[in-house]
Amino acid sequence: MLSIKDLRTTVGNRKVLDGLSLQVPAGEVHAIMGPNGSGKSTLAYTLAGRPGYEVTGGSVSYRGQDLLALEPEARAQRGLFLGFQYPVEIPGVNNVYLLKAALNAARKQRGLPEVDAFEFLTLVREKMKIMQMDESFLSRGVNEGFSGGEKKRNEILQMLVLEPSLALLDETDSGLDIDALKVVANGVNTLRSPERAIVLVTHYQRLLDYIKPDRVHVLARGKIIRSGGPELAQELEARGYDWLLTDAA
Amino acid sequence: MSALPVSLPTPRDENWKYANLRGLSRARFDPSPPPSAETLARVTAALPAPIDGFERFVIIDGFIASDASGVKQSGNPPTTSSSTIGTIEADRYFLELNRRLRSETLRLEVARHQKRAVEVIVVSLGTSHPAIEVALSEGAELSLIERHVPISTDTVITNLAVSAIVGPHARLELSRIAQTGAKTQHVETIELHLAEGSTTKVIQLTTGGAVSRTTAFVDHAGRESTLEWHAAALGEGTQSHDAYVRVAHSAPGAKTLQQFRGIASGRSRVSFNGHMRVDATSPNAQSDQSLKCLLAGPEAEADVRPQLEIYTDAVKASHGATVGKLDPDMLFYLLSRGIPEESASSLLKWAFVSDVIRRLSTPALRADIEHSLERVLPGAVAARSGT
Repeated sequence: MLSIKDLRTTVGNRKVLDGLSLQVPAGEVHAIMGPNGSGKSTLAYTLAGRPGYEVTGGSVSYRGQDLLALEPEARAQRGLFLGFQYPVEIPGVNNVYLLKAALNAARKQRGLPEVDAFEFLTLVREKMKIMQMDESFLSRGVNEGFSGGEKKRNEILQMLVLEPSLALLDETDSGLDIDALKVVANGVNTLRSPERAIVLVTHYQRLLDYIKPDRVHVLARGKIIRSGGPELAQELEARGYDWLLTDAA
Repeated sequence: MSALPVSLPTPRDENWKYANLRGLSRARFDPSPPPSAETLARVTAALPAPIDGFERFVIIDGFIASDASGVKQSGNPPTTSSSTIGTIEADRYFLELNRRLRSETLRLEVARHQKRAVEVIVVSLGTSHPAIEVALSEGAELSLIERHVPISTDTVITNLAVSAIVGPHARLELSRIAQTGAKTQHVETIELHLAEGSTTKVIQLTTGGAVSRTTAFVDHAGRESTLEWHAAALGEGTQSHDAYVRVAHSAPGAKTLQQFRGIASGRSRVSFNGHMRVDATSPNAQSDQSLKCLLAGPEAEADVRPQLEIYTDAVKASHGATVGKLDPDMLFYLLSRGIPEESASSLLKWAFVSDVIRRLSTPALRADIEHSLERVLPGAVAARSGT
């Protein structure tokens, strides 16, 4: 699904990713953990194509395609979804329109007609139930006036509607209380399937109590310095990152 | 009848710095003759659908195309005498020109505690000096829609004058939609006199047209009068949209909320100069200004200028003015959802002006305007309705 080789990214003039390599097969959930400033969000933004994140080396193959050659919107239309750590508010553009426009953009790329209005609303209502969201959210501006938790639920709602092939969730757990975390985790878990890969970027192990990863990677100083099974997350929770950083040095 | 023997305002005049009057510099301003029956029929067929519950008047080249009695006043009101003409301040130049050259005046009156809803369509095919005078008696209510529609694709000059006296505790909602033709030179002067306890809401949208200039004088003459002025202007190509709005708070407790949202695309120039004056005779006045412009073209220009002139300590005043580009975070968010860049930009521009558009309280008008904005901002209607 996703094959990253020796990826190097600068932001401004600062080197952030420095030879990062990672393989994420379809059907798996991978967690990327690491200390502050290690490059976790940079990895997510680089894969999603955010301007200002300049790739200076390496390659990224997504479903056999050169991901880096695609514009951000083309990446999304081909099934890549980024769940933002800080979802932006866009007053004046309503949620339901964004959902529908995004879904239709992906359908158009696949040569499908625009979604039928009734089917669309049925789909959205079903997903909103999973996310325990009130229908009034739909008519509001994108994330306008939402609490931190509501914004994160909205990100997952979008993901459930769009059914991406590859979901990159950047610190989706940050700012969530335990009940909201369970709802968000449940939403993510409903998306698990053999055709889909999920990459969770997180600081803490607690999200992984609810979304069981197949692999855990530690990102530090711009590269993956350790990979392992779910037990690695527990070890990090117990021991922190310093021992790994010392080993890597 | 001849034009004024003084020159037009120039960029050297304080409140005309950003106005583009080059297209008017050699104009003669002689008004066009009354429309022929054939013209009348042609124009009538091209007008937008009437709005339920609103009386309709149509002004073509300054003449009122209506059989309704009691609304027309032919001829000209008193003007400044020729001996003082040379001293007319630049801001009132076009108003004076209108007073001298207007053909007819549309007079709209609302009696005490009565309500009216009126739509006035203004059409220019040549050179005209349309005039609308509004008078609301005590406790009266008027919802007035003033629409300028792009019937002509030729070079057209419109010099409009609108005046309104809003009586004690009266309510005026004035929705002004200027969607003029590509070669239109549109100049207008608005005068509002607000009596005690009155409420006035102006919603103004300017699109199309080669040049537009609004000069407005608002006087809070009565205690506790309230004004909301919401304006949006969308410039494209080489268009120039400029406004100067002067609000004088002369009586205690006067309140003004002023909001402007402009988008300058292509090589256009969009500007708004909001001048708030609070006199010593207006303690406990309140003045809030929010003026924002979006630069959406590499060669576009935007100027917003909040001015506060305060002569009392007992005042609450705030102002904010920004000129910036599309928010890159918002743009990336939409792109990351697969929305094509052009649509994403349109959506964000729509979001920027929607706070003004949503103030239009007549649903049919709002829907019509949203639909018409589709040409400038594809996706606007859908963004609003979610359809």
